[in-house]
Amino acid sequence: MNVQQSPLWTTQTSGARLTGTWRSALPDYRFTPSPCLAACPVNGRIAEWIGKIGKEDIRGAWETLIDNNPFPAIAGRICHHPCQSACNRQYHDETVSICALERYVGDAALAEGWRFNPPAEERGERIAVIGGGPAGLSAAYQLRRRGFQVTLFDAKPKLGGLLRYGIPDYRLDKNIVDGEIERIVDLGVEVRLNAEIADAAALKKLRDAYDAVYLATGATSSKKLPGLDYNAPWVVDSADFLAAANAGNPVATGERLVVIGGGSAAMDVARTARRLGKRVTVLSLEPEDKLPAQRVEVDEAIEEDVVFVCGAMMRAVRPAAGGLALDCARVEFTPGKKRGEFAITPLENATFTLEADAIIPSIGQNADVERWRGLLGVAGPVIGTDGVWRTSVAGIFAGGDVASMDRFVTQAVGMGKEAAVEIARFVMGETAGSGFDVGPTLPFLEINTHYYPKAARHVPATAAVGERLQGFGEVQERLAAEAALAEAQRCFSCGNCIFCDNCYFYCPDMAITKLEGGYEVKSDYCKGCGLCVEECPTGSVRMREDTQG
Amino acid sequence: MELISYQDEGQFVSGHVACGGCAEALAMRVILNTVGSDAIGVVSPSCSAVICGGYPMSAVKIPMFHTTLESAAASASGVKRALVAQNKPDTTVLCFAGDGGTYDIGLQALSSAAERNEDILYICFDNEGYMNTGGQKSSSTPLDAVTGSTPAGKTTRKKNLIEILAAHRIPYIATASPSHINDMRAKIEKAKAIRGTKVIIVLIPCLPGWGVADNAAVRTARKAVEAGVFPLLEIEDGVNYRLSVSEKGDSIESYLKEQKRYRHLDADHIARLQAETDFEWRRLQQRVADSPARNP
Ligand SMILES: Cc1cc2nc3c(=O)[nH]c(=O)nc-3n(C[C@H](O)[C@H](O)[C@H](O)COP(=O)(O)OP(=O)(O)OC[C@H]3O[C@@H](n4cnc5c(N)ncnc54)[C@H](O)[C@@H]3O)c2cc1C
Ligand SMILES: Cc1ncc(C[n+]2csc(CCOP(=O)(O)OP(=O)(O)O)c2C)c(N)n1
Ligand code: SF4
Ligand code: SF4
Ligand code: SF4
Ligand SMILES: [Mg+2]
Repeated sequence: MNVQQSPLWTTQTSGARLTGTWRSALPDYRFTPSPCLAACPVNGRIAEWIGKIGKEDIRGAWETLIDNNPFPAIAGRICHHPCQSACNRQYHDETVSICALERYVGDAALAEGWRFNPPAEERGERIAVIGGGPAGLSAAYQLRRRGFQVTLFDAKPKLGGLLRYGIPDYRLDKNIVDGEIERIVDLGVEVRLNAEIADAAALKKLRDAYDAVYLATGATSSKKLPGLDYNAPWVVDSADFLAAANAGNPVATGERLVVIGGGSAAMDVARTARRLGKRVTVLSLEPEDKLPAQRVEVDEAIEEDVVFVCGAMMRAVRPAAGGLALDCARVEFTPGKKRGEFAITPLENATFTLEADAIIPSIGQNADVERWRGLLGVAGPVIGTDGVWRTSVAGIFAGGDVASMDRFVTQAVGMGKEAAVEIARFVMGETAGSGFDVGPTLPFLEINTHYYPKAARHVPATAAVGERLQGFGEVQERLAAEAALAEAQRCFSCGNCIFCDNCYFYCPDMAITKLEGGYEVKSDYCKGCGLCVEECPTGSVRMREDTQG
Repeated sequence: MELISYQDEGQFVSGHVACGGCAEALAMRVILNTVGSDAIGVVSPSCSAVICGGYPMSAVKIPMFHTTLESAAASASGVKRALVAQNKPDTTVLCFAGDGGTYDIGLQALSSAAERNEDILYICFDNEGYMNTGGQKSSSTPLDAVTGSTPAGKTTRKKNLIEILAAHRIPYIATASPSHINDMRAKIEKAKAIRGTKVIIVLIPCLPGWGVADNAAVRTARKAVEAGVFPLLEIEDGVNYRLSVSEKGDSIESYLKEQKRYRHLDADHIARLQAETDFEWRRLQQRVADSPARNP
């Protein structure tokens, strides 16, 4: 039945009408760094790798992680996780457990034996890295990935720095340290162990023999408590104590220990001593709510029967019946402007005595800047560097604890990465970069929280106290697969498109086209209403002024 | 996050003249693409008629018959009967009308078609007023809302068309919201497969008519659903009620705040509207509970 249609009925579609002329603003797709990325010392693309966990692509998540950090299993255990303090989700319900998710991925990689790909091309330039802690290893890794020839020198018989000789097993199992370091070495890093670079002259020689040098010798000497006789048999150096315990040969001490200090290292000493069966008291200048250690460390120490005497100082030690008597006074503690600065006033009418068999001062570590005197300029207590980790000597770069007071493992990893970028520029004759600021981050208000129903945070389980004190097994457990998946889905993916197609579907004008891996706005039709922006869950599309039509 | 899933088959095209950010155009996109190409449309004078387009341009790929404001359901009945006579009983007859054309001027035609159980899919775009003519009140305008003809706020309630329709015992009645696209799509699919009269009322926050920001129609509709002001429901055979969103929030305030038409309300008025909303919600819960399908 083929009826001839009257021309009267022939219409054209409205496509000929270009409604784009109506608008005054046009949507713009763009990546914006999430606050967690900016806060993360290695600037990890957190939203991206968490998104991959959410899609159960753990391998993909790991590949993204290792762009910036070769140590996800280590960082996932002991990172101070400033990302979580910055996380936008805290303004909705609770922060995302980024650190536990990182461990989840890092552990999968070790269990599966995933390796790093060899560099795409080999290059001739030779770089010496001094110090095999997190800063030096991170730099060596990033330089090898770029094809440079790397020789890594360390004074110790094994690599790892404080990862191995400082942080105790119950927080960081040494099999994890071995596993993640081995992968880096297998990339083709030439390792020289028991190879201390003794002084400025030796450093200069290395600089002459290599195209560039990275100095990452850490902060290896313990700060000394004034007035304490370090030669006395009952004074034990905290670094020695931890290194020995980590190596399985604990230093012999009496039963009752007083640990002096309130930071993470003091917690590690105290809790290690508890695991060796000692009775432990922590004596700190800071009141309990101002202890520099992380709160969870303090809480776990309290659970493990560490006794805290906070807001007090030791003024003298004298032998007493069956041990030592520590003459102490309560203090008034006034925090200073910068982290770590403070003033104290002893309260004369509040004195007391503690009994002990040994004292372990754990009040921090100093960088050994003296060793390089005459060659490298210093800046206060550390080696001086500019914004891109160049020291006063061309071709010598520095980072980690030796060059910074940001004394955390992932800070060191981040500094190592940044230095590698700059070293690569230097040896290839390029101009130095202008710094590593990632710019403004995505504000919480740009998240459409409707798409993220409130959901409780998943935190990893911890071992029972009784079990913990039996040995050095890890306290914190790995998230279970279901919990990791659910936690990953809590992430807003701030500023990072998840290809949900909301912008495409909510456009009343069909002005958005889906492309391979992205979207395009048809400026002929977009009326500039902003619905796509409003209904974007992640803040990945924004309006910008556009009056051209 | 639940992803939106339907295929845009190009049944609704760019270049239409809906206001930028119009949720009615958005809903038409979902409905037209879900209904597909084997359909004939009937549209009564309303924003949807304007959006479909006047001769010689059409934003819609199916043929649209522009009828009078009184007679959308009657015209649709006629079109359907003609299709049956041509041995095309499976072609969907889709009817678009506003609330003025449904609650008021076209109610007689709709009631008659429903009583005869005509095989039509009738969509009412409920923007709670005569909007394409400049924003006058209709019997769908809610209590207290300001319109061009109720400058101090409407003094009577919104007509409960859903209950009127339920009284006709037609096979399918539903409400839908542009904020809940998957739900809308599912309801259209379901209605399309049913023979007889199907009516779906879609809430459309009108940007100029309600005083809503250009980017806020979807958000406003979502708040209407979440506050229980516009429950998303289905009624089968006029007696079996089901809620697609079965929880409601405690307060309507955030919904009211999106709109200039409620800007004049004081706390007492808001409390009264809240009490009305809570009361209607409880009645609806009761109807769900009393549904024969749940009490065999
Ligand atoms: C007890 C303790 C616990 C800590 N816990 C945490 C924690 O939980 N989380 C966290 O983020 N941070 C923690 N930190 C801080 C963190 O360990 C350091 O900030 C980080 O290890 C610094 O890395 P780095 O590479 O600069 O130095 P290091 O890790 O100290 O490594 C320096 C390396 O250089 C080698 N070296 C030194 N001098 C020479 C030389 N002259 N020649 C050759 N080699 C040399 C050393 O042998 C060592 O291997 C802790 C620190 C301590 C002391
Ligand atoms: C009998 C009759 N009265 C008045 C009109 C003028 N008129 C055309 S559209 C319209 C408003 C219709 O309102 P509604 O159905 O709610 O649709 P909306 O414009 O709100 O989408 C009116 C009053 C008409 N076409 N026919
Ligand atoms: S929600 Fe996700 S992307 Fe946003 S800050 Fe938190 S972890 Fe990062
Ligand atoms: S929803 Fe469509 S019309 Fe509105 S701003 Fe976005 S692309 Fe433009
Ligand atoms: S709405 Fe979804 S697809 Fe569109 S930009 Fe935002 S995250 Fe990406
Ligand atoms: Mg209307």
